Amino acid sequence: MPCAESPQLEAYFDGELDALDAAALERHAARCGECRAGLAELERVRSALRRDLPYESTPPELRARILQALEREGASPAPPPSPMSSAGWRTRLAASRRPGFWAGAVGGFGAAAFAAAAVFLLWTPVGGGVVLDELVNAHVRSLMPDHLIDVVSSDRHTVKPWFAGHADVSPVVADFAPAGYPLIGGRADYLEHQRAAVVVYQHGAHLINVFSWRRGAARSRLPRDASRSGYHIMCWAAGDLDYCALSDAGWEELQGLVRLLETLSAADSRAP
Amino acid sequence: MTASKDDRRARFDAQVLPHLDAAYRFARWLARAPGDADDVLQEAMLRAFRAFDELRASDAKAWLLAIVRNCHLTMAAQRRRRGFVALPDEHDPQDGHHMMATAPDPECASIQRDHERILERLLAALPDEQREILMLREIAELGYREIASVTQLPIGTVMSRLARARAALKVRWFQDTGGKPRAVR
Repeated sequence: MPCAESPQLEAYFDGELDALDAAALERHAARCGECRAGLAELERVRSALRRDLPYESTPPELRARILQALEREGASPAPPPSPMSSAGWRTRLAASRRPGFWAGAVGGFGAAAFAAAAVFLLWTPVGGGVVLDELVNAHVRSLMPDHLIDVVSSDRHTVKPWFAGHADVSPVVADFAPAGYPLIGGRADYLEHQRAAVVVYQHGAHLINVFSWRRGAARSRLPRDASRSGYHIMCWAAGDLDYCALSDAGWEELQGLVRLLETLSAADSRAP
Repeated sequence: MTASKDDRRARFDAQVLPHLDAAYRFARWLARAPGDADDVLQEAMLRAFRAFDELRASDAKAWLLAIVRNCHLTMAAQRRRRGFVALPDEHDPQDGHHMMATAPDPECASIQRDHERILERLLAALPDEQREILMLREIAELGYREIASVTQLPIGTVMSRLARARAALKVRWFQDTGGKPRAVR
């Protein structure tokens, strides 16, 4: 089998190899042009799918309808077990594989893209959108060599005071290594016309940039969470600061850190 | 409402609601008409809430997507039994894309539109079982094990279908975008 079609290569690309196998594959790929080309092609397919398909978030009115239904459901007595979680649905799968099924789904795509665009416009008005774009740009810039960190430290007592001279705000900083989010440093950046503080955490292979700056005009327009160019963004406010955490980590992983930081920043903003 | 019910709802909101968008996108890919996807999602969220006690915290997204998939299959079967088949939306030559304000200039917008169309056509040409796995991996960003649990397939099958889907997409994408690698925008 040619190298580039090896299941190992794809498993590596999907982050499914353990550390030892991954390291072995990296050593091999350093010498093997075919493997490097294979990885580049996999990346091209991925980025085409993630960039060129319109991103659809749940339409606000559908979200509202679902929340209402959950509210009613929560108020009523415990329901009978769901028949749909039972087995037997796989036989029904075969029935759905008929010609025209997907043609229909794809035909409806234009309308869906339109709906997604309309929702996008309503949901993230210009101010918030511009800030999100700024954040993504800042994140991408930070991943370039030597741009990530100005002060390298896993010690909050080093990172936090550093901000005093380099940023306009003093955000919460903590080392969450026991929870899987070690602090690796800090950086100053420029956002909404002020010197923002960026705290950098690591989670597995992912870097998480946590931006904070004094509330600007775009506040209240920042969504709670958003996706841009394949990055996940979660925003929250504490005191007069806006915080945004941004990463290529999954939602759940990002949320793990955000939950810790939210608790901490809420307590911090209440303190005198 | 009792305290324990409030607590259950709060845990549901924290563990399951963050995956609502992923569930919506998956439903949109499964159901043929947008209205159907809405119904599938609403039903799936209610079922998820009722079955919430079965969830082990680590795999909320895969768990929810499996419920979405089951709901879609059940509802599609019901619609067929009723003899009602939703017509696909008429193809609008403008495709509604002229309203999209995300691309900075008309030329970019038109390239984006072309790529989108090519990609949609290529995806439509994939066998259902390959496309589903490709979407779960690349769009829903699930791992192999999670995809296996959503689709009730062995991991080996997941891997081989994923590889076939990518290979097919790669080859056709290459042909359809003019036989040369795309410029990075």
